[in-house]
Amino acid sequence: MMKKLSRIFSVCIVCSMLLVIGGCSKTDAKKTIKIAVAGPMTGDNSEYGIGFKNAVELMIKQWNANGGVLKNQIELVVYDDKNSPEEGANVGQKIASDKSIIGVIGHFSSGVTMTATPTYQDNKIILIAPSASHPDFTKQGNFIFRNNAVISTEAKEVIDLAVNYHKAKKIGILAIKTDWGTSTKNVIVQIIKDQYAAKGIEVVDVEEVVEGSDDYTPNITKMKQAGVDTIIGACMYATLAPFTKQYKLVDPSINIVGFSNAYTQNLLNLGGKSVEGLTFPVIFFSQSTEANVAKFVTDYKTAYNSVPSSLTAQAYDSVGILLTAIKQVGSLDRDKIRDAVAGITYVGVTGSTTFNATRDAVKPFNKVVIKDGQFTKLAY
Amino acid sequence: MFAQQIFNGLSIGMAYALVAVGYSLVFGILRLINFSHGSVYAFGAMMTLFFVSTRIGIIPAIIVSALLSGVVAALINKWTLEPLRLKNSSKIASLITTIGVSNVIQNMLIIVFGSQREAFPAFMDFGSVTIGNSLVIKSSQIVVFVVGLILLLVLTIIVNKTKFGLSMKAVQQNMRAASLMGIENNRVITITFFLGGVTAAIGGALLGGYYQIAYPMMGAMLGLKAFAASVLGGIGVLYGSVIGGLIVGVIESLAATYLGGTYRDLVAFLILIIVLIIRPNGIFGKKTTEKV
Repeated sequence: MMKKLSRIFSVCIVCSMLLVIGGCSKTDAKKTIKIAVAGPMTGDNSEYGIGFKNAVELMIKQWNANGGVLKNQIELVVYDDKNSPEEGANVGQKIASDKSIIGVIGHFSSGVTMTATPTYQDNKIILIAPSASHPDFTKQGNFIFRNNAVISTEAKEVIDLAVNYHKAKKIGILAIKTDWGTSTKNVIVQIIKDQYAAKGIEVVDVEEVVEGSDDYTPNITKMKQAGVDTIIGACMYATLAPFTKQYKLVDPSINIVGFSNAYTQNLLNLGGKSVEGLTFPVIFFSQSTEANVAKFVTDYKTAYNSVPSSLTAQAYDSVGILLTAIKQVGSLDRDKIRDAVAGITYVGVTGSTTFNATRDAVKPFNKVVIKDGQFTKLAY
Repeated sequence: MFAQQIFNGLSIGMAYALVAVGYSLVFGILRLINFSHGSVYAFGAMMTLFFVSTRIGIIPAIIVSALLSGVVAALINKWTLEPLRLKNSSKIASLITTIGVSNVIQNMLIIVFGSQREAFPAFMDFGSVTIGNSLVIKSSQIVVFVVGLILLLVLTIIVNKTKFGLSMKAVQQNMRAASLMGIENNRVITITFFLGGVTAAIGGALLGGYYQIAYPMMGAMLGLKAFAASVLGGIGVLYGSVIGGLIVGVIESLAATYLGGTYRDLVAFLILIIVLIIRPNGIFGKKTTEKV
């Protein structure tokens, strides 16, 4: 009996070894170029992860239709990190174990991405993050790029809107209690203190809230008490829309400025009439008349039946940057591709993107206001 | 500002109470914490949203979704908990089952509606009243409070004054004796789940309208808070859940104001722990003797 079992067992082992060898030689011959998307595909933030996936898929389809890159078809692999740090590290390991993956687009939040960045750096996998905004994000290594505005740059634009457009005197800050929210809040407070205190502009109240706490009435009461005339919202749309609704019930004349990560179609759907008059600095403007932007928006709408947000557009450009760099280099030499990304000037749907010495994207901002249920370009 | 926060707290507290009684009802009868309750609350709110989109009007939408949520809650009992009881499996198996069911419902809602927050009609906003110089009471706060109070009164009457309430008490005290007296235990339990589901769904619609948003995961934190409220008041005691809900609501609002928005959940649970150390059975809880 024992003998028989062991014989069967050894046959199995031989078979599986043959299979593995067969499998290996097959992939070697074909040599697919893989690009990974990592982000929350399920759970609370899945809309962002799915947006990344859609954008990258769209770009890869367009490249593949034109013959791929280096005469190879590009394959998209999607990893779900559920926006949790544990899963993020896990996904990093999985990606590193697949040697045909050249680069990664993702993950969604800085905190999650930073659990995976050491793995990418060690394995020379190029990461372009379309949404990370932690100040230290790109200090993780020279293979780590950020295709998103740095907090301080965007904060300056937001304060400019508050002061010069809304004529703010007493500013209130609503910030979500996350890495990003807290650092953004600190940056805003610092800039106003350093540059605007002399003009009599001050921050009179700072309210930190847990993301998605839904009830903002206590915070609103406090802000009103402090005599706030303009609010800077350092939060996603899911916080900004209900906050605005609840605030406008109490005080319809309040001015609110948001950050570009709240700038999505969902804000309009969720906020309805109350978000009228909100202003944002944005990199990507979906109603733009520029030909490439209009084409991207139409293609995206046809494929996925929704309007791309700025983070989605940044994911689209991120993969464009990576593929263009591979094409420029003409081989899959990871170091050379990295250098090409670092030196690129890429004109995409989010304007002309270059990376500075710390591998952070530098791009121009547009300003928009919500008017008649639409984002409208603002000139002042 | 203090008075304002008390008012803010009382109205959300009343909505918490609506969900909390569901925990209390089921615990009273089965000695089981039904962790799927929070997801039934979310189900109720999402269904209201769905029926509103069919343009039948907000009040009919709430009624239909409340009945539907009641049925879902009853089915949770019928399909998952009753078979476990029949097999005499351990209490912990039922508890884990309710957690599992909760995840199933939440994820099904995400599959159907997506995970994003949806705008909920502000059907209770008719303006606001200003008392004194700074106390602003929104109409929605009054509606939440009054509707909540009426529902809880109705529930109290059902439990204390009707034949069904009597059979609930009988099942609660001794299932075997109750069945010998001709009470159909499973029917009583199913109806109890139904009542819990209905109140949770109405709570969901009220809070959805108050915050003007609804989303599949809205029941996760709220379910825990409502559970905390019912434990705080003394789980199994109906009016205890109401007082517990109000306390949690008011404490949360005060904490959010004087300590910052990030403290609201923390303080609510901290108070729960302190109360339980001092009074292990909750504020109004009775000492329960272990059933042999």
